[in-house]
Amino acid sequence: MQTKPNPGFFKRNPPIAGEAEAIEKAKNGDAEAFSKLYALHKRRVYTLCLRMLGNVSEAEDMTQEAFLHLFRKLGSFRGESAFSTWLHRLTVNLVLMHLRKKGLNLVSLEETINPSEENAPKRDFGSRDTQLAGSVDRVTLERAVASLPPGYRMVFVLHDVEGFEHNEIATMLECSTGNSKSQLHKARLKLRELLRQPEKLQPVAGLQEAAR
Amino acid sequence: MKDLATANFDKMTAAEFEEYLPELFAMGGGKISENPRFGTFFKANPTCAELVSDLETIAEQAKSLFEPIGDGNGLEPSEEVWSKIASKLKDPPPEGDGG
Repeated sequence: MQTKPNPGFFKRNPPIAGEAEAIEKAKNGDAEAFSKLYALHKRRVYTLCLRMLGNVSEAEDMTQEAFLHLFRKLGSFRGESAFSTWLHRLTVNLVLMHLRKKGLNLVSLEETINPSEENAPKRDFGSRDTQLAGSVDRVTLERAVASLPPGYRMVFVLHDVEGFEHNEIATMLECSTGNSKSQLHKARLKLRELLRQPEKLQPVAGLQEAAR
Repeated sequence: MKDLATANFDKMTAAEFEEYLPELFAMGGGKISENPRFGTFFKANPTCAELVSDLETIAEQAKSLFEPIGDGNGLEPSEEVWSKIASKLKDPPPEGDGG
């Protein structure tokens, strides 16, 4: 039985013109329709991989893997969520699997639970510091996100950029929802610190700087 | 996590308030900075008000990163990626590819 889609799923990912038709055709093995899906979603998937991995070459490899996996799994897409949400979840899981295979301590949760002095956000309630000017430009924020310790960055990208809920992130990262909330808060605190000194932030490999 | 239902924010220290912040942000339902429940606290603790405002700005601006920037700005995978995908589409799926 097909589940009726929840309209809330589509708030951030409204259906794209021609996408539904391309999905149906691609399910039946239509290569041209699949190339259309690739064209529609390659940039978002690649950007997601790049933010999670911080490396252009690996991001391209994982983009390739994500679309090959998509091609094989497309038949299981039932439309309960927006296609892009489904594709991004698939991509995140592949990237996480890749990181596990590399033997990396998944999102460096240990690091963020007990961050080093250098990486932990500072507690500065007692002092008056420069407040952010009320807005942060995109390029500066992108640089700051890239500067986050991996564990913080992972949860921030999944929650604040990609829009996943804490319970979804907890499942993906195999941690508790409380941990996800805590990591996100620390990530934002660390970003605040970084954004107060934007001149110290380094350009991000693979992410164009012309978007100011 | 702290119990938000019983917390008295009017008499809280900044450090105590910080312990509630992850859960407060996770609750959603509008901006913390504009919630009258915290008005007295923020008046007494302006540094906390600034912190909350900054964190709200960061969370809001992060949404803008979801949409990749315009064409030709280098945010695309190279052409080679599609070439590799297209050639592999013809291959049989790898063994053990069950999900």
